[in-house]
Amino acid sequence: MRRAVIVATLCALVVPAQAFAHATLERTSPGFQQRVSVSPGTVTLRFDQYIEPLPHAVRLYSTRRELSVPEIRIKGRELAARLPRLRAGGYTVRWHALSGDGHVVSGVFTFGVRAPAPQPTQAFGASGPTRTEDVVRWLYFLSLALLVGGLGFRLLVARRPLPNRFFAITGFGAFATLNVGVAAFLLRAEDALQLPFGRLLYGDLSPMTRTRFGAVFIAMTLGFAAVAALVFLAWLSDRDVFLWPAFLLGLGFVSGLSLSGHSAADAGSSWKSELADWAHLSAACLWIGGLVQLAFVVWPLLPDARRTTFLAFSRLATVCVGVLLLAGVYLAILRLPDVSDLWSTGYGRILLVKSALVALAFAWGGLHKLRAVPAVARDSAVPRLRASIAGESMVGMIVLLVAAFLVNAKPPA
Amino acid sequence: MQPPAEHVHWLFATGFLLLGLCLVAEAVVGTEVWRRRAWRAYLWPGLAFGLGVLMWPVMTFFTNSTLHMLAHGAWAEVLMGAGAVELALVRGKLQSPAWRLMMAAAFAVSGLAFLVHEQNTWFFQRSSFLHHLLGWTLLVAAVFPLVRSVRPRSHVAAAGFALTFVVIAVFLYCDRDVAPVFGHLSPLAGPPHR
Repeated sequence: MRRAVIVATLCALVVPAQAFAHATLERTSPGFQQRVSVSPGTVTLRFDQYIEPLPHAVRLYSTRRELSVPEIRIKGRELAARLPRLRAGGYTVRWHALSGDGHVVSGVFTFGVRAPAPQPTQAFGASGPTRTEDVVRWLYFLSLALLVGGLGFRLLVARRPLPNRFFAITGFGAFATLNVGVAAFLLRAEDALQLPFGRLLYGDLSPMTRTRFGAVFIAMTLGFAAVAALVFLAWLSDRDVFLWPAFLLGLGFVSGLSLSGHSAADAGSSWKSELADWAHLSAACLWIGGLVQLAFVVWPLLPDARRTTFLAFSRLATVCVGVLLLAGVYLAILRLPDVSDLWSTGYGRILLVKSALVALAFAWGGLHKLRAVPAVARDSAVPRLRASIAGESMVGMIVLLVAAFLVNAKPPA
Repeated sequence: MQPPAEHVHWLFATGFLLLGLCLVAEAVVGTEVWRRRAWRAYLWPGLAFGLGVLMWPVMTFFTNSTLHMLAHGAWAEVLMGAGAVELALVRGKLQSPAWRLMMAAAFAVSGLAFLVHEQNTWFFQRSSFLHHLLGWTLLVAAVFPLVRSVRPRSHVAAAGFALTFVVIAVFLYCDRDVAPVFGHLSPLAGPPHR
């Protein structure tokens, strides 16, 4: 009986629900990203509360320019705009209204007339990823490397309890993954909504969650919240049983970036490109995250484990480098069918820079493999090896920065 | 499909009520008696941690405004963090009583999130009134975990800390405009919508 009550209470708590004070858009006609066969006579937005009119409450845009909206009226909870006759194509609707609680609520949605509707992230006025988003994407990669790479190192390489610093680094990675993910989502939403910061606070983000990017944001946030909880439980209970699901979940949810990026959305993408992208990113995370653990946990805190972990990591790194190369070359061929694209397009030029840095990192790793591994295997001292490992990890992090620019760049059609 | 707003408040209110009742029981019988069964020591910190984890779905699924999304994210993080620290203190993973300041910080951050995300005046509508009340209650009640961190045996601090969760639960149960009898306090807020 007691167990039943506990289970029932936990089940009740699991079900989330809505919590808002100001007017919330309940539905629109045409619907979000709906494709309609004839030009709609009106655009209608239905809210859950009464709203007040504002000038230019509904603005309509084709893919090229703003179109005039002859009449806008508000009746109770409904905002309606009469539309001119629309040609075939994609359209963007930007709306704002004074909520009953005095706040200006705003939003955007798209629809298509005898054509596919554009994604909200490609709504009229959206300019695409900015430099800030490139940096946020880089921080996302770094966080994933610290988290997933750290867990991989602990389970596949060290295979023994590590000092608390291991949990501090992976825990920070989990915390950063969650927060950087939210920042990335809000930056995309800001670009789609085209609102100043004050009004973005009351911007309706729900159309964004209906995109592939939004769905991935939801899945990754929930997944990495679970990973964070599992890592914490592993530290608290000193049990490896929580680490394996944390690692596998983390590795699985890394695929979110592959399922919402070029490998999933661009022409020529398929399950093979998605798989290659996931393998590429996972291998990079394991490699760079492992180097960080080796340089900042094992070397300074576990001198007796240096030899075994260095040799074991060397084997894992070889596999990671192989996967990185194979997947990277496949993706490069897929996205740049002509060799001349490498120097004639912006995407190609970034790829060249990335390749040069990757070559430097591989050369550095190769030096470790050829010179340091035999010496360590003989128990000979290798001067400044820790600094060298830290240096290799820094190069890997710079590669991730260039990769962030590459991911946000548009490959040639 | 999303369930109505009041349900999430009631569900989290239930969680906080359970948490508060555990703390009230511990304050009444004393920590030594309460911890005669070892699992009881983990009960309320575990509940706080679990409620923090459960706040993430609320943040991700209800994105009708940026401000609410950020507020729910802040509550998720401080609940998880404060619960995690208390669990670690019980387990002996953390030793310094200064770690208890995390709970005081969680109260302060939660209170600020309530006040920042509610930009209407106290008497605009019932939810505004309760958001202000929740925010200020949490900010003022942050003194209890603060005192607990320096005087762990203080009965006043323990009782105040426990009752804060019960009060928060009651406020959350009352927070939504559902029944016409409660209505809006200001005509500017329009007629009750549910």
